[in-house]
Amino acid sequence: MVKALGIINIEPYYVKVEGVEEHRPISASSILGRYRVIDFILSNMTNSGIYNIDVQVKNRPRSTVQHIHGTNYNINTKKGNIRILYGEKPVVNEIYNTDIMALSSNMEFFEESSAPYVVMAPSHFIYVQDFRKMLEHHIKSGDDITVLYQNVSNANESFLMCDTLEINKNKRVVKMDKNRGKHKHEKISLETYIMSKDVFKRLVDSAKVVSSLYYFSDILADSLKTMKIGTYCHNGFAACLSTLKAYYKASMDIKRERELHKMINDDWPIYTATNDTCPTLYVQGSKINNSIVGNGCIIEGSVSNCVIGRNVVIKKGAVVKDCVIMPDSLINKNVKMEKCVVDRLAIITHIKELKGTNEEPLYIGRGDRI
Amino acid sequence: MNKNNMVAMILAGGRGSRLFDLTKKEAKPAVHFGGKYRIIDFTLSNCANSNISTVGVLLQYESVLLSSYVANSSAWGLDMKGGGVYALSPREKDESNLSVYKGTADAITQNIDFLDNAEAEYVLILSGDHIYKMNYEKMLEAHIKANAEATIAVMEVPKKEASRFGIMNCDENDRIIEFEEKPKEPKSNLASMGVYIFTYKTLKRFLKEDEKNHESNHDFGKDIIPAFLNNGLNLLAYRFKGYWKDVGTVDSLWEANMDLLDNNSQLDLFDPGWKIYTDDILAGPQLIGSKAKIDNAYITQGCVVNGEIKHSVLFTNCVVDEGAKVVDSVIMNDAKIGKNVRLNRCIVVEGVKVPDGANFGNKNSKDILLVTKKLVSEVE
Repeated sequence: MVKALGIINIEPYYVKVEGVEEHRPISASSILGRYRVIDFILSNMTNSGIYNIDVQVKNRPRSTVQHIHGTNYNINTKKGNIRILYGEKPVVNEIYNTDIMALSSNMEFFEESSAPYVVMAPSHFIYVQDFRKMLEHHIKSGDDITVLYQNVSNANESFLMCDTLEINKNKRVVKMDKNRGKHKHEKISLETYIMSKDVFKRLVDSAKVVSSLYYFSDILADSLKTMKIGTYCHNGFAACLSTLKAYYKASMDIKRERELHKMINDDWPIYTATNDTCPTLYVQGSKINNSIVGNGCIIEGSVSNCVIGRNVVIKKGAVVKDCVIMPDSLINKNVKMEKCVVDRLAIITHIKELKGTNEEPLYIGRGDRI
Repeated sequence: MNKNNMVAMILAGGRGSRLFDLTKKEAKPAVHFGGKYRIIDFTLSNCANSNISTVGVLLQYESVLLSSYVANSSAWGLDMKGGGVYALSPREKDESNLSVYKGTADAITQNIDFLDNAEAEYVLILSGDHIYKMNYEKMLEAHIKANAEATIAVMEVPKKEASRFGIMNCDENDRIIEFEEKPKEPKSNLASMGVYIFTYKTLKRFLKEDEKNHESNHDFGKDIIPAFLNNGLNLLAYRFKGYWKDVGTVDSLWEANMDLLDNNSQLDLFDPGWKIYTDDILAGPQLIGSKAKIDNAYITQGCVVNGEIKHSVLFTNCVVDEGAKVVDSVIMNDAKIGKNVRLNRCIVVEGVKVPDGANFGNKNSKDILLVTKKLVSEVE
């Protein structure tokens, strides 16, 4: 067990995943056929030996509450706990619904924990990171805060509106800005921070005083001169699922065999809730390649380059290409679709063609009938 | 959920020696089946779905894996207060020395104290090595309605196969008049499925008597059922229709797996109303590579397929490399099929690595080839 409290933050204002977010926060959305986005960050924490985790939920908590049970994430549930914290105070206006507001209203619960450190991570990023190594680095460096970042080479089209970092030779942050897509190469903050409980409390308290609209990253930017803000570089895949395009691209990127096995393997399992679905049946005459598929599907049609969720049925004659299909959807006979994101429980029939683009994948809503 | 006062006892001590390497280190009920299951998942899930809360699993042969497996009772939802799954191996007692279970009936006799503690009113005797979906609650209703002392689940089998089973001869109300174990000339085609409900008080009396009888085989089919009949007790035959399979041999295990490839199979594992539960598996989603070619397959979590699969079943975490061709075969957990391998009518045993270019099985062979570590090392 690691001496740190895990806090999973709410998503910031710039997260706008068209359609998907009308039904649940992106963190509770289905990804890679059998997971929810939040499974990655939760598994990062429990695999790192963080057994007390508070998950903050901003709104529409049903999906998250239904999904998360401490018993699913391989912790000693007597010594540890995964708790869902919902903003206790009413929110007058959505712009006041900041992470600082949520953190401060739940501060008394964080203070219950005797752990001296806080690992705070976002719920709308997907990456694999051993927090033990990052914590070790943090303690050794003597910095007040350590920020996890990634060297990004396509920042002109991804991680938009995320924080960019300027780092000096001592690996400390000297400047923070927003990524407005002007440069290809940027150091992008993964909005993951390690600090002592005291520093955490001090920052949240002072942010409240400065502005009711402040986010945690705002107070961090204000503190560059007064605090030692160090960095820790993340290697490997990372994505910020702030738009439908980003969600679609991340699904397609992780789908590649090499990436998938780097992120999900026996040494670093990704935990999720079981659904007790049987394996997938590929019926005679079906065609499939270059895809990842959840259990419980019945594939009769043709599928290529797709992410197919649990319990999806693809009927005879249907041609599904470059799509992300979330669980429990039905694609009926002879439907042709390309570059679509189909939300859960959708039923698609009687249509000649549905087509999106890489820039704008076509979203089909939860439970929609087309 | 209603709790009924029926306690299930699953006989899971069988060795299954005709499954050879598959049961070398684990008992037959623990053998993997259908991609992600173990055979015993079917009876355990039937119990859970039939609202039974207390289940005893009688273990003997290679019980280490199986006893820890069934102890994880939450996997089947059998973890209500006052209930649970109990692994029952032979044990030393205050009044008797350690002795193996001498027969199916003796296994229950040795656990009379367990049934007493559970306050059983009815006892359901099951085999842990059958594949079927059945509602035992309905069977109990029939047992109570007929005022029977014992109810035996039966199914119709083809006349020519009837001599392989215990056969019931019944009157027009399905009351059992005669029971014949593997008769040479069967008088009916109603075969016992090895699923019995007993009124516990009566069963206990007969078990105690059977225990004293040194001539007895201490077996339900050979001794207890005939004793019930000889005493003129009311025995009911309960007719079952649907999929039922005893996978005692390599061929029948293969066949049962192949049944899953038929979209219209009687064994419907997709039915959300009667799910088969199993231990949670951590593997990632299955990955079908760009060079894969799949024509009728049943594939589960963690598999990575880059070769060609035709009419085959792939179990958890198995890998099929580029250029390999797998036809009419079953590839068990964690097996790896190398490049350009040819497999036809095989069962590849759990964890076996088939080297690149190897060739096993034959499409014209009558028997199914069991591809074991030993077999693979012989060709290498």
